[in-house]
Amino acid sequence: MVKTILIVDDSTSMRQVISIALKDTGYEVIEACNGQDALGKLTGIKIHLIVCDINMPVMDGITFVKTVKQLDHYRFTPIIMLTTEMADEKKQAAKDAGAKAWVTKPFKPPVLLSAIAKLVLP
Amino acid sequence: MNPLIHKKDSKIELTTQDQLRQYLTFQMDNEHLAVSILDVKEIIEINTITHVPMTPTYIRGVINLRGNVVPIIDLSARLGRKDSEISKRSCIVLVQVDYKDEIHLLGMLVDAVEEILEIPESNIMPPPDFGGDIRTDFIQAMGRVGDEFIILLNINNVLSIKELSQLKQMADYEGSDHANRETGDIAAK
Amino acid sequence: MMSDLNPALETFTQEVDELLTTMEDALLVLELTPDDVDCINSVFRAMHTIKGSAGLFGFDDVVAFTHEVETLLDKVRNSERQIDVELIAVLLACKDHTVQIIQHALSNENEPLPIALQQQSEALITQLTGSSPISKGMTSTQEKKTDHFVVDINSSDSCDNWIISLAFKQNALRNGMDPLSFIRYLQTLGKIIDVIVSMPTSLCMEELEPEDCFLNFKIAFSSAVDKKTIEEVFEFAEDDCDITILPPHSRQEHYLQLLEHFPEDQLKHLGEMLIEIGALTEKELDCVLREQRNEHKAIIKPVGEMLIAKNILQRPVIEQALIKQEAIKQKINKEANYIRVDAAKLGYLINLVGELVISDAAIRLMVEKHGLSDVNNVVGAMSHRVEEIRDTALQLRMVQIGETFTRFQRVVHDVSKELGKQIQLQITGGEAELDKTIVEKINDPLTHLVRNSLDHGIETPEERIQAGKPEKGIIQLNAYHDSGHIVIQISDDGKGIDSEKIVAKAISKGLLKPDQIVSQTDIYNLIFEPGLSTKEEASNLSGRGVGMDVVKRNIEALRGSVSVDSELGLGTTVTIYLPLTLAIIDGFMVEAQKERYIIPLNMVEECVEMSSTEWKIDHVQHYVNLRGQVLPYLRLGDFLHNNKKHQPTQRESLVVVRFGEEKAGFVVDELHGENQTVIKPLGMLFENLKGIGGATVLGSGDVALILDVQGLIQYAKKRVSPALALSMND
Repeated sequence: MVKTILIVDDSTSMRQVISIALKDTGYEVIEACNGQDALGKLTGIKIHLIVCDINMPVMDGITFVKTVKQLDHYRFTPIIMLTTEMADEKKQAAKDAGAKAWVTKPFKPPVLLSAIAKLVLP
Repeated sequence: MNPLIHKKDSKIELTTQDQLRQYLTFQMDNEHLAVSILDVKEIIEINTITHVPMTPTYIRGVINLRGNVVPIIDLSARLGRKDSEISKRSCIVLVQVDYKDEIHLLGMLVDAVEEILEIPESNIMPPPDFGGDIRTDFIQAMGRVGDEFIILLNINNVLSIKELSQLKQMADYEGSDHANRETGDIAAK
Repeated sequence: MMSDLNPALETFTQEVDELLTTMEDALLVLELTPDDVDCINSVFRAMHTIKGSAGLFGFDDVVAFTHEVETLLDKVRNSERQIDVELIAVLLACKDHTVQIIQHALSNENEPLPIALQQQSEALITQLTGSSPISKGMTSTQEKKTDHFVVDINSSDSCDNWIISLAFKQNALRNGMDPLSFIRYLQTLGKIIDVIVSMPTSLCMEELEPEDCFLNFKIAFSSAVDKKTIEEVFEFAEDDCDITILPPHSRQEHYLQLLEHFPEDQLKHLGEMLIEIGALTEKELDCVLREQRNEHKAIIKPVGEMLIAKNILQRPVIEQALIKQEAIKQKINKEANYIRVDAAKLGYLINLVGELVISDAAIRLMVEKHGLSDVNNVVGAMSHRVEEIRDTALQLRMVQIGETFTRFQRVVHDVSKELGKQIQLQITGGEAELDKTIVEKINDPLTHLVRNSLDHGIETPEERIQAGKPEKGIIQLNAYHDSGHIVIQISDDGKGIDSEKIVAKAISKGLLKPDQIVSQTDIYNLIFEPGLSTKEEASNLSGRGVGMDVVKRNIEALRGSVSVDSELGLGTTVTIYLPLTLAIIDGFMVEAQKERYIIPLNMVEECVEMSSTEWKIDHVQHYVNLRGQVLPYLRLGDFLHNNKKHQPTQRESLVVVRFGEEKAGFVVDELHGENQTVIKPLGMLFENLKGIGGATVLGSGDVALILDVQGLIQYAKKRVSPALALSMND
């Protein structure tokens, strides 16, 4: 079964590059440009892993993760947060919200791929 | 070796009580003077005295005493008399003076050392207020020996380092010599 | 390996365009309403997003630059930094610059930034942060250290495997952990030889919740990667799983080898050593140390024991590491094998060495006198030894001046605060060595001089800005060796010394005549005269003009000297010359008027014959023209013995001496050559005597005086001063 990954990031190019990399590796990809947008895309499909930026307009990453963890279908879904190196407290906030893994921005695609692979193999 | 050294040595066993009244007498410019034996460290023969330039005449120079450099004061010059002439009998009386919490060793050049006298307490008189050419603060007391009076020197005043080291005389000495040529020399002031 | 990224790059370009336009708009709004939080956020997001995307494409220069801007904007967001017109101007420039470097990155993918752009980046960052970037270009992926260790993955030896134990916690599944995914991922790094799954024996099936996890894995894993890499596989599981990774036996050999060659320059903790060779990871160590701290003191176990007990490392590795640690400890102890010695004992030793030097001279004198040629060799060898003993003994008391200097950091810090000034202390040359006895005695004069600079030298920040100088004043302490002396300089970039004020003061004090012509140097040196302080109001720090004369006296008591140089408005430098030691020096013996004198050898430049046929000698002004060099001279015999009639010898010699920048010649009757000079203090009686620095005892037992070269040079120079020439009539 092909695993589906949801990418939540406000940067189109970021989503695009990640998406290309993941598809190359054999994942199915769904994109969302902020938390609000992502919440709308959760229904009607099985998502195996969520990659989520913290700093986004409309609904930020932390709020999104907290919301997702409340949903019955998604409370066990692993979430990788994209954090910045200067925000240790952000990392903790993400952890508290329910994110299990994180990748520090900026990163190159292979770093994210191996992080994803540890949690969900294609 | 000066025989007097033995003389001193032979009496070294005396108790403090006795020593209090013991004085070393010596000759200076045909005059008999004495210092308390307690002030005297040693009596030595004269070897080479190295002259120290630019000092007043009462500073005769320095000697090597077992590796230490000890200044020699010409007592006669210090007391305002003429400079001592060194003869066969000339001696250096080493004395200790206190200055700035340290003990300093000085040599006192005298014409001849005579003997160690015991002067009973009753024969010791206060210094006269006047008379004589020696500054009164240099005199500790007068000691009567037979029918003669001997001046007992106050070593700490005669050889006061504070006073000797002022060397105002040195500047004068330097100044007087060069005064005619060095009028503009601010450093000499 | 990846599909064509071009479409993504196009998106990136577009996105950057949009973001930067938003950023510009927001900045312009901020110019009017600096508190607009939304605008600040969008400026921040622009940089943040560009940085993230640029990282994906590997545009490291863009990442490095936008990172700095982002960091600053984050501060603005957190109200740590105020946004103002100037900052907005810089940020607009940053926006333009970002366009440029992204364009460069897009068109010349892998080429580094051209220097001009690089410099612009740095300049902008400097403007933003007030400091230059620490490292150019932070790389988004870190190079990992790999130890070159090769393992045949298909090795059939079943016991030569990593043993990885995973004990997942009850909540692991609920927390989104999928144990299998980690194990699968592990397979990308090597070969899983065997997996044993176990469950706790005490498990009661009736109470089991379907979401609970009770899985324990023991995995035999064959791989060439290092322990840290394996640990990273389980990075995200560490909160929900107890992990131990026991290295294979072949690894053990490898670790033992690494330990064998472990650098021995520094003593390290066992844990640090094991991490360095890769046998232990930082996480494992942290975990063990935390546990150790929580243990009761009485049952506390050494780290090594705990590592073995917890199956993190095998015993042989720990033991080897402990042996190595002990070896390093011993080696370092050996190196740091200092003995504390009573300074008085050392002083006594040096005195004895002094006596030995004098006895040595006496013996040589005897040998010479009696012509004992057969003894000569023995005596020569002994003299050589004596010299070595002398040098070694003196070296024992040498200490670096650095420590004395560093103590002033505190003084400068405290006093500048007190005075409301901004002052930085710079220290150079702290490694210069000198005799401890001198170091001790120089502290007071130094303190005074530093305080003088603090108080009278450096101006207040306002005054400095007005004078066009940086707000922060600088005081510098410097030391270096120069011809057998140590030179200590205290400089400041303060207001300098007003020579007119000094002259006025000196005249009012009667130190100068109103019409007197004096050189600039002489004016500055007037500040060392008693009762001269140019500050109208005395402060509580540098006092009331008492001090500089005391400073000078203290330094001269150490056979040193002090001088001052200054430029009005620019600063002042005080230079102190001190002898390296107060005990024994190499001397040069001369004779004048039948008296012998010692000149410190390192101050002697050369000796020539005092011949009027060869050199032009000016007897009136007392100078000699030595190969075109005008050299003031002093007839030692006349000068030191002016009460005696001096009979000049037929062949007088001229000893050229140097002190710092100054030179002079001493005319003497005879030269006696070099000798080791044991310096004997002349004592308090002579403390005001100028021109004589000390005394020594010669081999003959006589005392010879050591000349104070600097004092005598000053004297010689004064005599040829042009201002005085007119009044000279001899």
